[in-house]
Amino acid sequence: MGSDAFEIAINLVKMIVIFLLMVQLVPLLVWIERRGSAFIQNRFGPNRVGPLGLTQLLADAVKFIFKEEFIPSRSRKFLFYAAPVMSLIPGALAFGSIPLSLPINVEAFEMFGQTWGPYRFAFQSFEIGVGIVFVLGISSLGAYGMLTAGWASVNKYSIFGALRASAQMISYELALGLSLVGIILIYGTFDFSVMISEQTGPLSFMWFGSEVVIPFLPNWGIFYQPLGALLLFITMFAETNRAPFDLPEAEAELVAGYHTEYGGLKMNMFYIGEYGHMMVASALMTTFYFGGYHLPFVDPDTVNTALMYNGYSATMASVLTALTFHLVFFAKLFLFLWIFIWVRWTLPRFRYDQLMDLGWKKLLPWALANTMVTAVVVFLMRSWS
Amino acid sequence: MLTSGLLFYILAAAIVLFAIAVVMSSNPIYSALYLALTMVTLAFMFFMLNAPFIAGVQLIVYAGAVVVLFTMVMMLFDLKKEQEAFARGKFTGFIKIASAGWLCGLIAGAVYMSSEMIVSGSKAVSENTATTKNLAIELFTNYILAFEALGILLLLIAVGAVSISRIKGGTHA
Repeated sequence: MGSDAFEIAINLVKMIVIFLLMVQLVPLLVWIERRGSAFIQNRFGPNRVGPLGLTQLLADAVKFIFKEEFIPSRSRKFLFYAAPVMSLIPGALAFGSIPLSLPINVEAFEMFGQTWGPYRFAFQSFEIGVGIVFVLGISSLGAYGMLTAGWASVNKYSIFGALRASAQMISYELALGLSLVGIILIYGTFDFSVMISEQTGPLSFMWFGSEVVIPFLPNWGIFYQPLGALLLFITMFAETNRAPFDLPEAEAELVAGYHTEYGGLKMNMFYIGEYGHMMVASALMTTFYFGGYHLPFVDPDTVNTALMYNGYSATMASVLTALTFHLVFFAKLFLFLWIFIWVRWTLPRFRYDQLMDLGWKKLLPWALANTMVTAVVVFLMRSWS
Repeated sequence: MLTSGLLFYILAAAIVLFAIAVVMSSNPIYSALYLALTMVTLAFMFFMLNAPFIAGVQLIVYAGAVVVLFTMVMMLFDLKKEQEAFARGKFTGFIKIASAGWLCGLIAGAVYMSSEMIVSGSKAVSENTATTKNLAIELFTNYILAFEALGILLLLIAVGAVSISRIKGGTHA
């Protein structure tokens, strides 16, 4: 939490701000999704309310809030209310543990006649040493929201959606976890920050005892684990229940799947949960395979000293550096979020048996093979030097 | 120190309450959901006890996969008959009493046998399992036999489950 009042206060504010950041990105993503899908399908999309249809988001929010509250009379009331919250929390918790930028170093300063010692604030809601395991564990709890939503609605379409969702999530979790083992083996850590700091500088690795440096490529994970990156990317689509794996809410067969009976703000919370999962997935892709918040060939220390040279105090320079690299992180994040949307409006939906075949018979063996090959190569290269 | 102590008691109380609720609820689906809550709170207890890797694995394996499967399978069935069968009857009554006695015996045995080998908490955690690396080294050197035996046991369970589901002519084995 922190050692004194200032640190505790900042840490609490940070938690709320990052949660709000996640929630506030959702309407923007909905707008991008609607405009993007219109662009892909040669339509206009929402373009009447405000510039580029941007205030449509506000109108949507007002509609969600003021919609009549509807509960099916035979539903299990408590679980019916709890399910949207249960699907929102895992995404928010997982997103909070991913570092969004460099830590901010605050120098000692005077306030209220007292010296407040130097601080170091991580640019994330909370730091956990085994971040990767934590994120995987927390996001695997997302299945409960859908399961309880489907069951509490007492509706056949809902329960079919819920069963499909949970079966799909459990099946793809195995391939997801195994596709990450390769990158964990290479960097030898579960800590996001350590993994990101390993990905700085030009591409350099040990090849049979001699160091190979490729100066024009960044030292990103994707160059070591291309197959792992591809597998993670595919399984992420299944974990977030997005097209082409959106069978839990396949509207042609199941009306709307597990959230058939939901409307208004409760429905909105399912949306936030889904987009939250998308953000976590994109953030994981960025962190593991695309250098996290680092800009290739730009050293954060250089930026920091350049800012200090231009007359900013050490604290201010640290804050500005962190914000700069935060923008870099978000540029990468939005690239993946756009690919999520792009794929949804490009590929058709899988059939259920195709989905299960892909998960168990293709992704899982490939992920296992990737793990084995990586382990052997890492062991050989380390024992050579 | 005070806050962590307070958190410990809150979490411990939550675990016990949820575990009691697992047994007390008459609807098996509510039981399964309470079981999930027990697992999640147990995971946070592991976090508090400086064993974050075990906590994460607890979340992934038990809360995220095993109990989800329980819940999912129970939602597939119409459980009214089973509920009635479990609510009364001589045979189930015998099973209830027997399992209560079994549990009491286990607790008594555990207390009796562990009273001599109590290690102070900080020592037990920090020396062996604080980091994931140490945990792995312990697991794959000192306890390799138990680890492999557990793996074989799980394999046996999987094979047994498949063979049982085939006996009655199931089509989905």
